[in-house]
Amino acid sequence: MLARAHTFTIEGLHTRHVTVEVDVRTGLPAFTIVGLADAAVREARERVRAAILNSGYEFPARRIVASLAPGDVPKVGAALDLALACALLAASGQLPRERLDGHVLFGELALDGEVRPCRGTLAVAQATRQAGLGRLILAGARAHEARLVEGLDVAPAQRLSSAVRVLCGGEADALLARTPDAVGPSEAWPDLNDVRGQDHAVRALVIAAAGGHNCLLSGPPGTGKTMLAQRIGSILPPLSRTEAIEVTRIRSIAGSVAGGLVGERPWRAPHHSITTAGLIGGARRDSIGEVVLAHNGVLFLDELSEFARPVLEALRQPLEDGRVAIVRARHSTIYPARFMLLAATNPCPCGYAGVGERCRCSEAELARHRRRLSGPLLDRIDLLAQLDHDAGDDLGSSAPIGSARARELVTDARERQAARLREDGVTLNAHMNAAVLRRRVTLDERGEAMLRSARERGMLSARGRHRVLRVARTIADLNASGRVRARDLGSAIALRGDAGLAGKRAA
Amino acid sequence: MTTGGSEAADRAACASCLRRSWLLAQLSGPLDCNCRADGRLIDLLALGDDELMRALAGRRLEELRGRHARFQPSELARVDGIAEICRHDRGYPAALRAVGVAPTLFAAGGLARLMGLTARPVVAIVGTGRATDYGIEIAGTLARGLAASGVTVAGELADGIGQAGLTGALEGGGAAVSVLGGGMDVAAPARRRPLLAEIKRAGVAVSELPCGTAPRRWCAAAGTRIVAATAAVTVVVEAGDSARELAGARVAQALGRTVAAVPGRVSSRASCGSHALLREGAQLVSGAADVLELLCDCDRPAQAPRDVRLQLEPRLRTVLESVGAGIDTPQKLIGDGAESGALLQALSELELMGLLARGDGGRYVACNALDAPAVR
Repeated sequence: MLARAHTFTIEGLHTRHVTVEVDVRTGLPAFTIVGLADAAVREARERVRAAILNSGYEFPARRIVASLAPGDVPKVGAALDLALACALLAASGQLPRERLDGHVLFGELALDGEVRPCRGTLAVAQATRQAGLGRLILAGARAHEARLVEGLDVAPAQRLSSAVRVLCGGEADALLARTPDAVGPSEAWPDLNDVRGQDHAVRALVIAAAGGHNCLLSGPPGTGKTMLAQRIGSILPPLSRTEAIEVTRIRSIAGSVAGGLVGERPWRAPHHSITTAGLIGGARRDSIGEVVLAHNGVLFLDELSEFARPVLEALRQPLEDGRVAIVRARHSTIYPARFMLLAATNPCPCGYAGVGERCRCSEAELARHRRRLSGPLLDRIDLLAQLDHDAGDDLGSSAPIGSARARELVTDARERQAARLREDGVTLNAHMNAAVLRRRVTLDERGEAMLRSARERGMLSARGRHRVLRVARTIADLNASGRVRARDLGSAIALRGDAGLAGKRAA
Repeated sequence: MTTGGSEAADRAACASCLRRSWLLAQLSGPLDCNCRADGRLIDLLALGDDELMRALAGRRLEELRGRHARFQPSELARVDGIAEICRHDRGYPAALRAVGVAPTLFAAGGLARLMGLTARPVVAIVGTGRATDYGIEIAGTLARGLAASGVTVAGELADGIGQAGLTGALEGGGAAVSVLGGGMDVAAPARRRPLLAEIKRAGVAVSELPCGTAPRRWCAAAGTRIVAATAAVTVVVEAGDSARELAGARVAQALGRTVAAVPGRVSSRASCGSHALLREGAQLVSGAADVLELLCDCDRPAQAPRDVRLQLEPRLRTVLESVGAGIDTPQKLIGDGAESGALLQALSELELMGLLARGDGGRYVACNALDAPAVR
């Protein structure tokens, strides 16, 4: 007898529909799985056998062939267990075969018949809804995640027997106690008003957060670069629902979501020993890079000059396009990677350039430091937040701005941007391309004159001009100004990102 | 006579002088061991060939003597475009003859140009290799002004003040003589190649070592001696108190030339050598006009300086004055009571006018307003 069940397998961040066909015939007892299954799927035979027997069903002592279609797509992971077991039960007459239609089964089986949650539940739920395949039966622990997809019939099942009951038209298990959707930033972020005596850098950070600009924090050791960067999360607005779903989907596939919607913006701070594959992804077939995990959030690179040069070079595509295309011998995938880059660096190898005469770096060391940072990466950094060494005197002074107030400003500015850019397909100033810039950013006469003289002095390249205009637009948004005034442009020029390295003029 | 001139014309060095250059290259290692001691290197370089060999050759003495006796000028590697001139030639820079055993020069840029440039008044700009933004700014401004006035600027092709002075001279319209440490064809380190190419195009670069000799530590001190000896006035822009950084001034003093120094902040370690020179009686200079005065021994032109600063709006002037007073980062200026947006705008405008430049660590540095190009 033949039975057919439906499930999905994860491929990068995408899903592939898989039909599990099980045929049970007379012959020598055997259980074979065909259809490019990886080791985890092949091991499903043992799990499925034990789970069926331990749930009180009968495992047919006959010749069993399971085929995973389409046959040319590699299948990974243990999530096909549930579909295999149910198709097997149907094929051996322990379950009406026609009941399998209209259901998607997704889950790993424990030997005692329990259904275990699997990575990528949200992606599978979305695919089920999109393909119109009907009800999704999955582990109870992940039901909340699947419920995020509107209009999808989700039936949680704790055990194989409950799944069979649901298939036969019975009641689904009750939802487990619900973890509340954590939309909105968590309280865990430290507050911006801990940062004293660095008003200038704080302001630059607020501008960066408002426009989603990539920002470089530069300053001598101990001035609070990392401290400032760690507070970015407290001033970014909460994720919108669409963004939250995207983030949850990525986290779910990466296997780091506990259930429910992810509320806070991703914050990824990899150590500088990271490899290119670790940052971008593609080390293994299903490994996801840090830039993808930082999608819709912040990627923080502390001690930027310590990162290997190829690693930094690899950031160019995601910074430019907001996505990474990973092509390997047998698979190619496109991942979304639209993040805000926050980087911190010392102004020179010893860190004390510009602090009296403390810097003892040689010309050659400075040149090496510059070479590490300069070029294509620095070209994509819009803003420089310069931290001051001598700010220590002001540690007792009042904080310029607290996180709550800063977040209000940032949220307002982002709303203004979104309203203005609605027709252009972007939401943040940082993502405006040249054409959008021409359309949306107009300068007064004085501003035009400033830009012209900056170009004539060789201070701004064509790309540099675009960066300055984007930042100027954000500053105007923060000031609730409809036009970009000369003052906004002047601030943007003073904050431009490529002036942060020691010894640049002497070179 | 140009670079592409006849071969005979570019080989104006006699065999014994070429042999001297060969000997220096041979003794480069032992010379390196003697460059630390104050003044000792200069004394060594003033010795005759035989004494020099006896002083430095050690166990190689007999072998070296033999090779010295058999030396043929054809033993030296020769590179196209590199001319040679020795002290026995009439075109040899007159000022340089004062040095004991005046060195044979290997020059890129043509002998005619070398003669032309050294026939004019020459000012040496020397100082530390680890200059501050202030020193680099002043050295550049000084050299620009001097070059524009038709004075030849001599400097070492080295980091810091030397490089800043040569760059400034090129910007001011050429007239730069640069002295290299090693052989003319060994451009090390690579980061100086663009400047060297620019100097070869517009000025001359000279070295006392034959082509193919790698630069060593002693070469820098020896180069300073040539720079200072070529010039009528030696200006020390920024120098610490080490013997190495004051070497140029010491050579000029020994030759009885005028030594001038640019003062820095009294608390600045980078300028303490300059201050020591001033205390010893060096001339204080603050701009190209002062140097011209020393050079020509004439009065300053009675023309009021056109100071761009006086024409600035008050808000810009306040910021510029604050930066000049050492309140030089945006953070400190904000702490001083300025409003952030207005402040950043003022800083940008001043930078665009060329009155401010970015220094290390987010600092702004005031540029010389007298030399700033007109506001666009």
